[in-house]
Amino acid sequence: MLEYYFPNEAAEPLLWHPVLFAYTLLVSGADLLILTALAYLSGSLRKAIPLMTMLGIGFFAVVLAGPLADLRSPQRAALIFTRPHIAATAANPGISLIAFQSIAWLVALVLSVIFALLTFSYYSHQASLTSSGFRRTIYQVFSLGVTTSERYGSVEKAAKVVAVLMLPFLTLWGIYPASLFIMQTWNPAWRSWALLPVTYFADTFVVATALFMLVYFLWRYGGLERDVVVPILKIHAAGSLSVAALTGLQMAIWWSWSPGTAEMVSPLIPLMYLVIALLLLSFTLSLVAMRYPATIPVVALVAMAGTFTNKWNIIVNAQLISKTGLAFLEAELEGLWVLETAAPIALGIAVFILLSMIFPLEVREGGK
Amino acid sequence: MTEISRRGFLGAVSALVMLPAVSAVPHVESGKRYAMLIDVNKCYGCMACVIACAAENNVPLGSFRTWVEQLVKPDGTRVFVPKQCNHCEDPPCVPPCPTGATYKTADGLVLVNDELCIGCGACVKGCPYGARYMNPVKGVADKCTFCDHRLAAGLLPACVEACPTGARVFGPLHEENELSKTVNSRPVQVLKPHTGAEPQIYYISLPDEVNR
Repeated sequence: MLEYYFPNEAAEPLLWHPVLFAYTLLVSGADLLILTALAYLSGSLRKAIPLMTMLGIGFFAVVLAGPLADLRSPQRAALIFTRPHIAATAANPGISLIAFQSIAWLVALVLSVIFALLTFSYYSHQASLTSSGFRRTIYQVFSLGVTTSERYGSVEKAAKVVAVLMLPFLTLWGIYPASLFIMQTWNPAWRSWALLPVTYFADTFVVATALFMLVYFLWRYGGLERDVVVPILKIHAAGSLSVAALTGLQMAIWWSWSPGTAEMVSPLIPLMYLVIALLLLSFTLSLVAMRYPATIPVVALVAMAGTFTNKWNIIVNAQLISKTGLAFLEAELEGLWVLETAAPIALGIAVFILLSMIFPLEVREGGK
Repeated sequence: MTEISRRGFLGAVSALVMLPAVSAVPHVESGKRYAMLIDVNKCYGCMACVIACAAENNVPLGSFRTWVEQLVKPDGTRVFVPKQCNHCEDPPCVPPCPTGATYKTADGLVLVNDELCIGCGACVKGCPYGARYMNPVKGVADKCTFCDHRLAAGLLPACVEACPTGARVFGPLHEENELSKTVNSRPVQVLKPHTGAEPQIYYISLPDEVNR
């Protein structure tokens, strides 16, 4: 390479810090909620719905904590909601994907909470009968007045409508921030990464299912149910294979474009090989785990290693490629960046634990 | 106590409603379409423009509103290419801004309203020319403003005034002046035309090698 880059890039090569890496992992909450909505609508994976809902809401609720930590003027963050740039004017042409997705987040989160309240309404009523004090009041509020299984039947219809409404907003989140990278930045690696949105979508499903399996294993250790584990493993296996294939295909596309492109993306290639290897391993282990469910933590951990590597490569390494496409900049990570990165994830886990203290992680037929 | 609380509440609501007023654009528009012409043949890399800009606009160390790139041709001759924000007709840095802090004036200037900037860096990533940076002191995105504060006072941008060879020519594009005459009569180039941004910094004798 000629090592030709712009001086402002050298001043701050890593503008978006690794906290964004945590952010993209939290996006998996959206995918868990997509799985929840699809499972609810199709009538499958009923036993897994409560856990997926709680995990999904827990992670999705705090998804904006990542970019908030990365803002240079976080005290003005609320302006995204009070002055969102979602309509083109002469002074502000175009639409901001960040603003649009922030609004989509709010809508999706509200819909997800409504969905959870509707599906847990009858359970809340039953729980209110056996609890006392403040807890009883909370359950009475969350029951939404659903006191009979007949009423719950009509609530289920409403929940289906909400599930349908949730899907487009959550799907938008499934391909974000890949769509931001490819559409509204001039990073040459991101802009030429044609398969990034679909890879991202599949990748977050891998994280979502891995996360579910890990939590499910910890919660139900010794009592894993095949009718829950096997469908999740199938989705996980399909996701892992898809990401591995899409990553390999993207490498082939770059190599076939031009020698210049191949040279430009060369710093990304070693980790892309590692991603393919780890996700193929995760795919293979998923098949094994369908027969031996006790091995699902291994599947989840291998998959997470693969997706973490993938996210690091996409966000950190690709960002270090100069806008000239002729230099790979160096950046030193300073301060408590590991803690900063882990904090939003810890917050998501905390919200999940809080929700699991109020709602059950398993609901039987008829809302019980 | 109740009265005070109610007032406080109403005050907070009013502040929220009045929020758009905070964004009042400080720039005074003249209805002109400003542009700049840079004759690469006349630049000998003295950096007077870079220093003048940094001094005029309090540019933080390590960041640049304008800079001069140097190219050594195979025959050993050196070519100097000053670069800065291109104040594009269709600026790619404006759409990504989530709050509308980055905006385009009727004069064609692309500016940042510091009071609305949340410092997300989306515009920095959105600029194909590397012309934006995050100001570490102000915590907002920063860039060349064509010295709009000087324009308002009837002065030229600092970089134009400081150039000893007149390599930089500044003015309204659609009025009778040296800039419009040259742009309309001589072959001129712009940086990265493939972006579709329609940059408003025009160059004479721009080497292909720096157009990346």
